[in-house]
Amino acid sequence: MKRKWLSLALGAILSMSVSLAACSNSAPTQAPQAEPAKPAEQPAPSAAQKTGSDTLVVAITSDQGTLDPAVTMDNSAWKITYPTYERLVEYDGASTEAKPGLAREWSVSPDGLQWTFQLEEGHTFADGTPVTAEAVKFTFDRILKIKKGPSEVYSVIKEVKVESPTKVTFVLTNNFPPFLSTLAANYGGIVNPKVKEKEQNGDLGQGFLAGNTMGSGPYQLSEYKKGEYFKLTVNPHYKKQPAIKTVYFKITPDPTAQRLQLEQGEVDIAEGIPVEQLKSLKDSAQGIELIQKPSLFVDYVYINTSKGNPALQNPKVRQALSYAVDYEGLTDAVQEGYATQMRGPIPQGLWGHDDNAFQYKHDVEKAKALLAEAGVSNLTLDLLYSDNKPWWETEALSLQAFFAEIGVKVNLKKIAYATSREMIDKGEFDLCLGVWSPDFGDPYMFMNYWFDSKNFGLAGNRAFYKNDKVDSLIRRAATVNDQAERTKLYQEAQKIVIEEAPYIYLYQKDFLLPVSKNLKGFVYNPMLEGIYNVQDMSK
Amino acid sequence: MKQLIAKRLSLVVFVLFGVTLLTFLLSHVIPGDPAQMMVGQRANEETLREVRHQLGLDQPIWVQYFTYLKGLLAGDFGLSIRTQKPVIDDLLTFFPATFELVFFAFLLALIVGIPIGILSAVRKDTGWDHAGRIFSIAGVSTPVFWSGLVGILLCYKILGILPSGGRLDLNVAAPTKITGLYVLDSILTGNWAALKNSLWHLILPTIVLSYAQLAVISRQVRASMLEVLGQEYIRTALANGISGAVLLFRYALRNALIPTVTVVGLSFGSLLGGAVVTETIFGWPGMGKYVVDSIAFLDFPAIMGFTFIIAVGYVVINLLVDLTYYLLNPQIRQ
Repeated sequence: MKRKWLSLALGAILSMSVSLAACSNSAPTQAPQAEPAKPAEQPAPSAAQKTGSDTLVVAITSDQGTLDPAVTMDNSAWKITYPTYERLVEYDGASTEAKPGLAREWSVSPDGLQWTFQLEEGHTFADGTPVTAEAVKFTFDRILKIKKGPSEVYSVIKEVKVESPTKVTFVLTNNFPPFLSTLAANYGGIVNPKVKEKEQNGDLGQGFLAGNTMGSGPYQLSEYKKGEYFKLTVNPHYKKQPAIKTVYFKITPDPTAQRLQLEQGEVDIAEGIPVEQLKSLKDSAQGIELIQKPSLFVDYVYINTSKGNPALQNPKVRQALSYAVDYEGLTDAVQEGYATQMRGPIPQGLWGHDDNAFQYKHDVEKAKALLAEAGVSNLTLDLLYSDNKPWWETEALSLQAFFAEIGVKVNLKKIAYATSREMIDKGEFDLCLGVWSPDFGDPYMFMNYWFDSKNFGLAGNRAFYKNDKVDSLIRRAATVNDQAERTKLYQEAQKIVIEEAPYIYLYQKDFLLPVSKNLKGFVYNPMLEGIYNVQDMSK
Repeated sequence: MKQLIAKRLSLVVFVLFGVTLLTFLLSHVIPGDPAQMMVGQRANEETLREVRHQLGLDQPIWVQYFTYLKGLLAGDFGLSIRTQKPVIDDLLTFFPATFELVFFAFLLALIVGIPIGILSAVRKDTGWDHAGRIFSIAGVSTPVFWSGLVGILLCYKILGILPSGGRLDLNVAAPTKITGLYVLDSILTGNWAALKNSLWHLILPTIVLSYAQLAVISRQVRASMLEVLGQEYIRTALANGISGAVLLFRYALRNALIPTVTVVGLSFGSLLGGAVVTETIFGWPGMGKYVVDSIAFLDFPAIMGFTFIIAVGYVVINLLVDLTYYLLNPQIRQ
């Protein structure tokens, strides 16, 4: 027996020595890697490669798809492309209103059909070619020819006319007030017409721009190592040279590895740390700041008002479900309290939001009474959700518990993301979890997408909700130019859709980002979720 | 020998054809539409139709399959829906990374696992045997996501002697691409900085991955060694005065390795596509991570290309296993 224990101990020592030997063997190879620029900051050999003062390293969770602004609709790819292109108009600082960008000024005809932009001179693409009205025309013609996601946003464009090298006019098919905001989104990035030289088999340069950039922004993509990192360096022709000269978007899929790298100063911004780890990170780690801002990113439940369980066609049942939710408990459980309950569809922080709109609150008795009034009992509903958002599992379980309190049984249906999208499009669900964030700063993004009966399915009206009054109000709001008038129309429509509850308006998520304290100048713009104003940052 | 290889290679064509057909059918029966994934959150029917048309998804499935097969025969794996780039480019980037990791992990697992197996067999039921078994079973029972994180915590955060992940530091340029295997390429091009750095990055993931494979090898070696050692020819050899290392290595081990080769070969093959967790934790830009992302996006061409490469990998490994048999076992040669 004694011998057995002895050998066990020997075995343990053996195993430890193997791993330790492996670790210590590596020490000599590591030494030459210490950064030569800052030897004083590394008194002891350290595995962490601290970032230099003109270098920004952002840890991102996964590799990106195509980077072509005329193709990508994925805002995680936008963080890489946005600083490499310029747009006619831009979001400035934290404001959600469009400000001059490439265009110095602009005017719109009274009927809203002609938008004329006067370009500011002196903007240059990274290869030295000046940005002209021709390039603007080229960009939008290209988007419309490629006919992918962004072309739908610009389907109102009838023609782009070059008036002079610095003046360009967009002719629209119908009045579309949000047009200006769409130009500030990533797909409005002006592309160097020289991309034509990179065309292969008539792809209009899609193959090339999938992994390269050709814009006039402060940066350009200078290296892309698949699965490893994207490296941006400055555009030498950009007027105001930024303090940060090199930006790495480093792909680090594991959240814990990201956290350790942030703590060691190897990365400056870590995007993939889940909310439950952020709290402890904030308390424990020095040198890390947690940025917290209200965002326009909302989380809500689609109630299928026409193709799901017939009971859901009754507004009273939908109201009952809205009353059944303990909103505060939910945001605490799912978002650690970093969220605010919605008040109707238009989130706080976007114009058109109504501070006095009706807000549902947790009221089990009222919910039960509404169900009784509707004559509904023993209701069983399917709740669809996917693995797209990590918190949906907890959220679905919480909702199941809330609805059980009012006697509604919920079956949870977790489906692969791609499949869930098809089911949403076809309306094959009773209830479904969803998120939404606006591409441009206009309540149109919420009201017209969510409630117009022309947009059934994935396009936006995922509740398959139809109300003629709402249709006419929001359609009018989309063609009037006066913002006060539009606000009034949207608020009137909002009253109806809160009352009729085709969605359960859950919460607006806070934007949370742990960054290194050395980093200065980061400004969060709710319109540019996940996009960094690198050109204004310094260390 | 040549005949054997020729026979095996002719079968490969059928195997690969079957693999492409099955994968194609399976990936297309799953409900879900890559066109929808591509056009973003919100899209109208018209745009969707256009994108489906551009991707050829509006064709009948058999037309899609034959178009794909035709391309494949010409060496064209198609365009990835997600990255809009030729799938072959992606595979040629990610495969070497995985291969390099798995190769070093197996090398380490063999170097440590075979001696443990031999020791356990020779000193059966002693403390050495138990210690060896506990050591290797602990490896196979420890989930990689845990041992990987503990490794990073210990060697990166606390001791500060190893990097937390990736193949190279951001400020070290990759060696000129010849094979895509950084260690080999940097030796071939004499890029010693890249060699040191890539080896340094390999240490931790290699240890973690190999520790998980160790038990497979050491248990197999132990079992077959025990069986061989009990056989009559060993007793005969002993009676003839052969003992010690010669008996162990020339007489026993050679025969004991035959079943081990099969097990090792197959688990090597499975790791090529299945080292996802290790790759994720160490930010290793390999095939596993790539294919998981592709499946989530229903990127058919990428999924097909990946399966094809893995199938080829399996076939090659099986062939190598058979050839090793051939070398180890003279009976097969006749």
